[in-house]
Amino acid sequence: MVTLSETPVAAVRRRPRRHQGNWLNRILLGLLLTVCTIWLVVPFAMAVIWSLVDPQTGWTYPDVLPPSLSFARWVEVWTTTALPQALRNSYLLAPTVAVITLILAMPTAYCFARYDFPGKSVAQVLTLLPLVVPGFVLAIFFSSLIFNLGIYSRFLSILLAHCVLFLPYAIRIMTVAFENVQDDLIDAARDLGASPWARIRVAYMPALAPGILASLIIVFIQSIEEFAIAFIVGAPNFVTIPSILYSYLGYNFVRPNAAVVSLVLVVPNVLLMLGLERLLKSANPAQAGVKG
Amino acid sequence: MNWQRSGTIVLLLMPGLGLILVMIGSVFYVAVMQSFGFFNLVGEDQFSLEHWRDVLDSRAFSRAFQYSAYIATVSAIGSVILAYPIAIWLRRPFRGSLTVSAVLKAPLFVPGLVAAFLFLNIVAYHGVLNQLMMWLGVIDEPIRMQNDRNAYGVIFLQIWKNMPFALLLLSGAVQAISDEVLDAARDLGAGPFDRFRKVIAPLTVSAMQAALIIIFIGAAGDFAFQVTAGPTNVQSMAQFMVFLKDSFGRWNQAAVVGVCLMGLALGGSLLLAIASRFLLRGGRW
Amino acid sequence: MSDTAPDLVAADIGKVFEDGFEALTGINLSVAPGEFVTLLGPSGCGKTTLLKTVAGFHLPTTGRIELAGQDITTAPPERRDMAMCFQSYALFPHLSVADNIDFGPRQNRVPRDARLKRLERLLSQVDLGAHREKLPNKLSGGQQQRVALARALAMQPAVVLFDEPLSNLDAKLRDQVRREIRGLQKDLGFTAIYVTHDQAEALSMSDRVVVMRNGRIDQIGTPEEVYDRPETAFVADFIGAANILPFERRANGHVATPIGDLTVTEPPGPGASYLVWRPEDAEPCAADAPDAITAELTERAYQGAYTELHVRVDASPEQRLHLPHAAMPADGRISFRLPPDRLRFVTGALA
Repeated sequence: MVTLSETPVAAVRRRPRRHQGNWLNRILLGLLLTVCTIWLVVPFAMAVIWSLVDPQTGWTYPDVLPPSLSFARWVEVWTTTALPQALRNSYLLAPTVAVITLILAMPTAYCFARYDFPGKSVAQVLTLLPLVVPGFVLAIFFSSLIFNLGIYSRFLSILLAHCVLFLPYAIRIMTVAFENVQDDLIDAARDLGASPWARIRVAYMPALAPGILASLIIVFIQSIEEFAIAFIVGAPNFVTIPSILYSYLGYNFVRPNAAVVSLVLVVPNVLLMLGLERLLKSANPAQAGVKG
Repeated sequence: MNWQRSGTIVLLLMPGLGLILVMIGSVFYVAVMQSFGFFNLVGEDQFSLEHWRDVLDSRAFSRAFQYSAYIATVSAIGSVILAYPIAIWLRRPFRGSLTVSAVLKAPLFVPGLVAAFLFLNIVAYHGVLNQLMMWLGVIDEPIRMQNDRNAYGVIFLQIWKNMPFALLLLSGAVQAISDEVLDAARDLGAGPFDRFRKVIAPLTVSAMQAALIIIFIGAAGDFAFQVTAGPTNVQSMAQFMVFLKDSFGRWNQAAVVGVCLMGLALGGSLLLAIASRFLLRGGRW
Repeated sequence: MSDTAPDLVAADIGKVFEDGFEALTGINLSVAPGEFVTLLGPSGCGKTTLLKTVAGFHLPTTGRIELAGQDITTAPPERRDMAMCFQSYALFPHLSVADNIDFGPRQNRVPRDARLKRLERLLSQVDLGAHREKLPNKLSGGQQQRVALARALAMQPAVVLFDEPLSNLDAKLRDQVRREIRGLQKDLGFTAIYVTHDQAEALSMSDRVVVMRNGRIDQIGTPEEVYDRPETAFVADFIGAANILPFERRANGHVATPIGDLTVTEPPGPGASYLVWRPEDAEPCAADAPDAITAELTERAYQGAYTELHVRVDASPEQRLHLPHAAMPADGRISFRLPPDRLRFVTGALA
């Protein structure tokens, strides 16, 4: 029998109950943030400090912090090493790679997004091939291939290899972007008498724009960071930022110089990544298909 | 399907997929052929199994092979084991969860060489870690941790760099499981461990396999971490390959190592993937 | 039924979520063994929160829940003698029909023989024997719904909780599954608590209906009670169609309303705020009959079994009449009378 009692049952306790996992989450959160500080903040702080160590006074045990700081290392690395050349190379190479990769990826992505054909899933898996071949195997035998073909431009060789290496990312991102183009919108634009160019502007661009930017940024970052091909194919004449860094980490370990080059390599990329994050958040959430 | 349509599809696939197949195919072809004595930069092209015999007989090779297989297996399994509980913990958003996942994923965007450098700073003889442990009184004298013989440093770096990737894949898969399905399992008497074993694990096994495969392949072919932070008494496969190529241009032998490395990467990762599926699906397919 | 010991008791349940949202306030409910009780209300009224609190997925902020005399307020869902049928069915996509149904008994370490016997019986009860090895995504919506039901019943629970189980089915199938659920419930004798926002479903299935609004219970009663004698303006408005009118008290069993003075059998109670009548209560009559209300017709909609007329008396709000085979009157005016025993007074404000 269902009853609606007028007065609350006397035995009922009116004490509020805490949500169980609450304190557990708080402890876990605190623990994790501590770990993350050690995970990220301390290493990067060390790199910044090392790059600012004054070469005159140095930083030796048992000083907790360097006795004095200066930009002398930055000036020294800039004026005496190949870093300016490497920067020029890297920042000329990466945007070129990003644009060419995007152009190469577009037709395949369009095909994956808007056509159905037998063997499509196999074709999609095959685009991932560059990701499953170990980087140094690719680098060494690509350089062997280049020698055999008699191509001597290091820039063009690395450009070609980077384009192939990063095509999987661009194809994946652009496939998602093309899938977001709505047929209704294309039909509507047509129905309203839009010219082909106007149709592209109205129906395609709004859906594609975030994908295009994401692809450009991701490939750009990857190309700047890529070490195996730049090192094997480029050595010894064509230097990029990672190969300079490698030279300071290898047999002659120069810590302050390595700190400077590390920061030069990583800081612009982090800023770009943050920009990308923002871009993906503001765009259609479905377009956040960065995960290969 | 008519011819015109097929032609369009083939044409569309040419610049992207076509280029990938041609390039990767020819690199693979060059590597295999060079290992059998063709495509020589100097000297006659001639079929020979000599390079294979030389390499496979050398102790340095078998050590490198075992070492790379070991690093790759431990890194792949370690990253996934660490990433699983975090992915489940971050399944439902809570205050601060976005920050946590952003911080955890940050290493994805740190280049390997920079990561190695940061790590060297921390574990150096007079580095932060040694100073801290001495200050805490755990040790009296600094310990030598750089280039340790057991390659703990390399494994740490691999996991540092790859765990976020596993987390990315597993988070997606874990979040795709609906709340009601997990509630149903709970309602039917499954505790936290059974919910993982009988519901979450079988439903996320594909993502986990993808993570295992990609991390295994990356770690098997590692060069940067090994050269900077790895043990000095053993070489990784990639390091060994570069060494052969650079010393007296032994391209053919390097090619043998390269082909073996590809075999290790593919075979090992597939084995790991199959084993994990078998384990998580409780012996059933 | 009132002399049977109540099976499930929820006393003074309140639920405030972490973000401060007060989802439930002062809920008191007791359900007898074998009873079919429906929680009915618009979306956001707290009916699903109440169900999930009873199931154990939410911890109530205040109050107590008892099952068969035992306090289960803080017991986790897996420790309650209840099973839930989810809105999305929540079938395990990687398990076959048989494994889905067998999941609960296996978790609870039921001996193998008993488990198999139970499985076979359930498969035949929900008529899924031919589909036992299929994965859930190979089944139709109605079949998935039956698997979910069988999976809940496999626990042999005292209480089965249904969270809008038919909302994903099309209308015709919904009617069929509704009767199947009710039939099984009567055969097996389990207690059912059933959440829905569909009043037709609530009226046709339930022993009792609990009408909820804004986290509170507005009225509890049999389907006939909540339809014929709504206690609040909200209940009258939410269940079925109703004409709801403000009124003023007059002497000797009369009230004044925008459609004229009406005779009532029972004078309005002290808290009464509105007068309610159902569209089908109106009886057409001659314009000069006693108590006749003559109204101007504004709209006519043929509905098959009846015709809906929208009418207005002078400047009154539009009233609805449901009359069988009402032809359009030539002068656009219609006369009807309202039997005094069909006029009810309700409390509360209009939503």
